[in-house]
Amino acid sequence: MTLAIPGQRLGPTTSYTSGPGTHIHESSVYASITGTVQIEKSKTTPKSTVSVARGPVPSPSTSETPATKKYNTLPSVDSTVLARVTRVQKRQVTVSILIVEPPASSKTSNTTSNLSDSELAALLSTATNPENHSNSDDLRFPAIIRREDVRAVEKDRVVLDEMFRVGDVVRGTVISMGDQSFYYLSTARNDLGVVMARSASGNMMFPVSWREMRDPVTGLAEERKVARPF
Amino acid sequence: MPLDTSTTYPLTRLRLDGRRWNELRLLQAQISTNPASSGSSYLAMGNTSIMCTVHGPAEGRRGEAGGGAGNAAGAVVEVDVNIAGFASVDRKRRGGGSDKQSSRIATTLKAAFQSHLHTYLYPHSTISIHVSVLSADGSLLAAAINACTLALVDAGIPMPGLLCGCTAGMSGSASTARDPKNDELDPLLDLSLPEEQELPSLTVGTTTAIPVGEDAMDDDEDETMKVSLLNMDAKVHYTYLETMLAVGIDGCTQIREILEGVIKGSNKIVVPRSDIL
Repeated sequence: MTLAIPGQRLGPTTSYTSGPGTHIHESSVYASITGTVQIEKSKTTPKSTVSVARGPVPSPSTSETPATKKYNTLPSVDSTVLARVTRVQKRQVTVSILIVEPPASSKTSNTTSNLSDSELAALLSTATNPENHSNSDDLRFPAIIRREDVRAVEKDRVVLDEMFRVGDVVRGTVISMGDQSFYYLSTARNDLGVVMARSASGNMMFPVSWREMRDPVTGLAEERKVARPF
Repeated sequence: MPLDTSTTYPLTRLRLDGRRWNELRLLQAQISTNPASSGSSYLAMGNTSIMCTVHGPAEGRRGEAGGGAGNAAGAVVEVDVNIAGFASVDRKRRGGGSDKQSSRIATTLKAAFQSHLHTYLYPHSTISIHVSVLSADGSLLAAAINACTLALVDAGIPMPGLLCGCTAGMSGSASTARDPKNDELDPLLDLSLPEEQELPSLTVGTTTAIPVGEDAMDDDEDETMKVSLLNMDAKVHYTYLETMLAVGIDGCTQIREILEGVIKGSNKIVVPRSDIL
């Protein structure tokens, strides 16, 4: 694990093939970005692939399980996402996508196979924490839930103030890549909707029915479009 | 070339700021100074200090030539240079637009990095570089090149090597031909503003060493480099040019070592190496 800087010669092309972050010049492989050099042995060819990855030098414990990083993918149509509500308006709710769940085809018996429980817990705990809202929202994918996409029945009677509150974590499905700035989400299914919410007094609430959540401390109920728990 | 005159160099031949002819000014640099941008850097060469931020590769703004319409061949590099009103000795008030000096630096930087970076990896996108000159004390273009290189490295934009810039000047009667009887050369490295105003100077930009030939593969130390940027505004007799170029390229090598140290995480004050001491 050595740090390469752009222009550093990594090896001859006779024994290495060029991976990400490298380029070939005059029959040698050179680094083209700054990062740690990784050499991967190929099963099919005798040459090993040399690549340069950005970021700090990974510790030995994390480098053993590189497969757990699969969740950092882009949302696509029909993918299920977890998003945090950032704004509630009359006609639409603006959310920012926190995480994209792996597609159904790659799912095994465990629904969050590619995501370790500790990582998911860490992500969601930061998501519902009010202090983390403003600084990280700009970096995530913004999305919109339109009023008619909130639920499948009585679409015209939907009042968005009774469905979502700013800060809620919502499970939704991507129905469209949308325009230049927003993905379009839908929660019009029983298993979609608010999964985590804090009450007005700031306590985590538990779901009571498909449209109600309750604060365990004060006992007060609040209206939400609740997702069916697994 | 009688470049190494160190043993016989008299004390009175020191420059205005006390340097010898082939000494760099103190070069300090940091990367990742601005977390809001993709890459950023701060670089100070003596009293010239420059802040640089890189945004992108990102989708270009609509309506621009390289943006919304897209350049399928590769990313477009945009450079914006702003010289602060307080940068020089006398405060300058500017009416919004950029002046001649900053737009020339911007054009040169854009041309240099457009061809230097691996832009073909990012079609339909824009890499925008913003250079802010906080303090101007000569060698602005060279300092801007070094600051941009650091910021682009921080942004993780692939490039064949570090692009480093340095200035070289020639003191004495540089407008007349060399006197064969009195063959003394007075080249200077890394000019400050008073020197730059008085003497003809040359800005050299070189990329990281690229080995040439078959035997160059064997040892990493003996590498040559490629001059990818050359800019001279002054008039100088052509017989001096080779010397100036050699001095400038040598300065680029020194700067490269310092920049490599900065990138590798030693964000400490790096005193330039002097061959004399």
